Amino acid sequence: MSLSNTPSSSSPLSNLWLTRPFSERSTRIFLTVLALALAVVTVLHLALPAGHPLHVSSYTVTLLGKYLCYALLAVAVDLVWGYLGILSLGHGAFFALGGYAMGMYLMRQIGDRGVYGDPVLPDFMVFLNWDSLPWFWHGFDMAWFAFLMVMLAPGLLALLFGFLAFRSRVTGVYLSIITQALTFALMLAFFRNEMGFGGNNGLTDFRELLGFDLRSDATRLGLFLASGVALALGYVVCRGIVGSKLGRVCVASRDAEARVRFLGYRVERVQLCVFVVSAMLAGVAGSLYVPQVGIINPSEFSPLFSIEVVVWVALGGRGTLYGAVIGAILVNYAKTVFTGVMPDAWLFALGGLFVVVTVLLPKGIAGLMSRRRKADSETQLKEATP
Amino acid sequence: MRITRCLTLWLLLCALMLALLGSAQAQQDDPGKPLLEALASASYAAKSDAIDAIVASGDSRSRAWLEALNDGKLQQNKQTGQFVVVLANRGRNWPVEDALSGEPLGEMSRRELDRIGINNALRGQLRSTLAVLDLYVDNPDARLQAANDLLGQVDAGMVAPLEAVRDQEPSEAVQERLTEALAIYRLEQGDAQAIEALSGSLHPEARAALNGAAASDDPALAAQAKKALDGIEQTLKINRGFETLYFGLSLGSVLVLAAIGLAITFGVMGVINMAHGELIMLGAYTSWGMQQLLPGQPGLAVILSIPAGFLVAGLAGVAIERCVIQFLKGRPLETLLATFGVSLILQQLVRTLVSPLNRTVITPEWMSGSLVINDALSLTLNRLYVLGFALLVFAGLMLVMRRTRLGLEVRAVTQNRAMARSMGIRATRVDMLTFGLGAGVAGLAGVALAQLTNVGPNLGQSYIIDSFMVVVFGGVGNLWGTLVAGMSLGVINQVLEPWAGAVLAKIIVLVFIILFIQKRPRGLFPQKGRAAEG
Amino acid sequence: MSLLDALADRDRVFDFLVPAASPVDVRHGPILYLEDVNVSFDGFKAINNLNLTINDGELRCIIGPNGAGKTTMMDIITGKTRPDSGQVWFGSRHNLLTKNEPEIASLGIGRKFQKPTVFEALSVFDNLELAMSADKRVLPTLTARLSGEQRSRIDEVLETIGLEALCGRQAGILSHGQKQWLEIGMLLMQRPRLLLVDEPVAGMTEQEMERTAELLTSLAGKQSVVVVEHDMGFVRSIARQVTVLHQGSVLAEGTMDQVSNDPKVIEVYLGAEEEA
Repeated sequence: MSLSNTPSSSSPLSNLWLTRPFSERSTRIFLTVLALALAVVTVLHLALPAGHPLHVSSYTVTLLGKYLCYALLAVAVDLVWGYLGILSLGHGAFFALGGYAMGMYLMRQIGDRGVYGDPVLPDFMVFLNWDSLPWFWHGFDMAWFAFLMVMLAPGLLALLFGFLAFRSRVTGVYLSIITQALTFALMLAFFRNEMGFGGNNGLTDFRELLGFDLRSDATRLGLFLASGVALALGYVVCRGIVGSKLGRVCVASRDAEARVRFLGYRVERVQLCVFVVSAMLAGVAGSLYVPQVGIINPSEFSPLFSIEVVVWVALGGRGTLYGAVIGAILVNYAKTVFTGVMPDAWLFALGGLFVVVTVLLPKGIAGLMSRRRKADSETQLKEATP
Repeated sequence: MRITRCLTLWLLLCALMLALLGSAQAQQDDPGKPLLEALASASYAAKSDAIDAIVASGDSRSRAWLEALNDGKLQQNKQTGQFVVVLANRGRNWPVEDALSGEPLGEMSRRELDRIGINNALRGQLRSTLAVLDLYVDNPDARLQAANDLLGQVDAGMVAPLEAVRDQEPSEAVQERLTEALAIYRLEQGDAQAIEALSGSLHPEARAALNGAAASDDPALAAQAKKALDGIEQTLKINRGFETLYFGLSLGSVLVLAAIGLAITFGVMGVINMAHGELIMLGAYTSWGMQQLLPGQPGLAVILSIPAGFLVAGLAGVAIERCVIQFLKGRPLETLLATFGVSLILQQLVRTLVSPLNRTVITPEWMSGSLVINDALSLTLNRLYVLGFALLVFAGLMLVMRRTRLGLEVRAVTQNRAMARSMGIRATRVDMLTFGLGAGVAGLAGVALAQLTNVGPNLGQSYIIDSFMVVVFGGVGNLWGTLVAGMSLGVINQVLEPWAGAVLAKIIVLVFIILFIQKRPRGLFPQKGRAAEG
Repeated sequence: MSLLDALADRDRVFDFLVPAASPVDVRHGPILYLEDVNVSFDGFKAINNLNLTINDGELRCIIGPNGAGKTTMMDIITGKTRPDSGQVWFGSRHNLLTKNEPEIASLGIGRKFQKPTVFEALSVFDNLELAMSADKRVLPTLTARLSGEQRSRIDEVLETIGLEALCGRQAGILSHGQKQWLEIGMLLMQRPRLLLVDEPVAGMTEQEMERTAELLTSLAGKQSVVVVEHDMGFVRSIARQVTVLHQGSVLAEGTMDQVSNDPKVIEVYLGAEEEA
């Protein structure tokens, strides 16, 4: 689980927590594979003519971009679940909040091109006969502010929620249940028209992002690449945290929380910090997801979505980070295929996946891959111990 | 045995024959015939007396006759003298029926018939007579209903007959109603003394009359009416309080039912069963299925579906325990995920096998309707039944846990698994039975829910989060806590609802629980001691 | 022994390893002082008017039958359980009842649990690294890097507890006895002023027990040590002062000989054991 048990050589890269991951083999492999995948998709999309069998259509590019956003969300969940032992069933809430922050910016960008042509108010507000913007919509016409809120809004929610929860040592199953209640409550709230987030329909009909037309192929490719870069950055940040001493404190408090306290660490602060970082990553994932699918509505808050994310991580293998990425992409690819071919079977497959992974594959795909290596070391150990 | 049965049969036969004879007798000399003949007399004064005679006769056909008379549809065949009621007087030939027997007589030409005429005075008499007519029937409930209908409908012509009726009325409730009805009329005429009679009434008509009086030009009358209104408002508030409490307890009983099975699997076994909601759904579908099997007998179906729902959900629970949960012992978070998967499969299974659409379960007659306490407060019976059912299930479960061998073994296994096993308790079997019990109770909840809402594949989902909240709020492993938590959450929700709206009330309750858990992580009634520190 | 002396000597060599300007004031009396402490769980009195004084540098053994309140007492001192009433002071300056576990730990109270709790997913080396006295706030922990001195200190402790060969292995695969040693090693890394050791020799071989006894006695003098133990032989081999707990309060106190001749003690504890 910890790949850098013995402290490595003092190469300049291992000096800082954020650069240390680059000296790890697994991170290098991951980043190389990701970069290759991005490059191949880009080349196949741009260089080959539309009719070519290997041509990657714009639709597929966006679909892949969506998967990458999901992968980043899964990495964020794995950071808290795999390393901190906090099973969050509410990460969809942070994802959705990031998405709404981006959606609000995109709504403001529509300007007077909406159905009702109001220069300031989004269509749904005109429809509801509102005469001015609610206070929390101010500032979202500026990209920098919106991008800041993409991370701040989920971060603040996580800070508030985590502060209350971890301070009173709500952990384990209790925490899972109240995170689920949190996202459920938010879903109900966002369904209300009075909340000012478009109610049931959410935010949609986006036109452009930073001046780029969202419907153009180039913008779509750009968003796909941006998602890939965000995933890479998020992965490195998480890997940096889990590879540091803080990461080892996380693992320690996952397994024996009380013991870590008796060593003098403030476990609740560690949990809070990592939880907030994870929520922000989820927010970023949501913000990149929204312009690619073109809509954000309260269903992203649904408890089902959040718990589905957890099963991506479980399938890939928790506590590995790259497993989360594999799991997210695999499950979502399967979902795309299934819902296209036989939509009724998808829930059976997903339900079965939950059961099979937890009962038969507790370490996920990543666990399968490293099983042989482990078996080897186990035999060595038996010889070494008297 | 045999003799009594023979006797019963014989008695029944006799009664049947008597009834047949009686009806034959009626055909020959119907007591209604002279009454109608009196109506057909030439003078209006005689007709007026004849109307009174019909009313006084208490004949069940009186209303039909008088209404027909009022509409000019009571007619006499010119040749046979037979009295008929015209069903539709359009065109040349009118469909008619016999006024005495009610048998359809086919069509008759309008020329064959002679209308029994009335004048304006008679018309007035008829109107007020018709209004009080139902007050003469024998059934006191029907009389009360008639008196209720009179509130606000009294006019000058009815005062005298109503007062006469009221003085003869044996039922106090009906008397009171009539007094109220008369008082409303008198208040409308500006009689301040009528206010007193109305000051205790909760009926909207009485309030409307008082409101009218309060706005009148007479300051004394207005002041008095206002005072009476304030008093009524006070009583109404109390009644509304009771109503909110009742709805709250009703919602609470649903929550308790839904959560109590969870309190066993989660609280006692430490298993997070996300498929609990779907077990509830299975119970509800059992109730629906039972009605499909027993068409036309909803009452029997409901009673049978109680054990059936318990069995179906319980067996499903045992299957889940055997196939999934037993392999995940001591890994609560993994159990949560696996059972969530099970819940998805169960939902989809129902969608595929039954239908994705909602099904309705018929409420048997003895469960529908409501218990009327007063004008402002009536308790719907089905909710009352569910409330009682929830309490029964709770008591039963308490008994099982406290008084039976299974309960003892469950508690032993919970507290010290290894020790319990070494004392010869088969822990795996106990696990299986405990889970089955929890699941079975979920099935019972489903049977009850089927009486309140539609049965659909998503039924369980809407209760799972609430159920967990109830268990966590009450304190895990504490059945009493679950009861108190469920009831209080139900009441809180209902209290908030008129003020904040249904959705916001739910959000507020959720946020409240989230905050509450921060403050008291172990719920309302926490387990104490070293073991609980875990 | 010589190694331990060397270890202890390093206090002076590497001053920065000592918990910042040890704030415990023991000039005016004992290092640990419990007065009239009461705890009850659901009406059951786990601790009943407990009075206990531990002097600086003392090695104290606490014995008592099951349910005498030994572990609960440890829980109170380390902040895990709050007493219903009473006073608990660390030195004459720190009221432990106002502090939480991490605060108490950073004041210099280390605890070894009854059931060895090491971080099984982490390597032996990491276990020791986490225990090491250092700045334990979140950001410094994130950016922390091991200095050469810190690494050699870990190596020394590894040698002391005899786990050098397993340094990179996951702690989860250690045997029960090895886990006990690792936990003792973690205590050493913490450099506490007061060590609370709950049943240190459970699951150890004779040889290991001897080594543990040696280690604990060598620590006494520089650090105060409180040992809760069931194994009478072990207690006899290390104890100077013994306290007998019974039903949540002190039944007897004195040397092992005094205590084992006390008729009350014989009745509730030793007697029972000899009969068995």
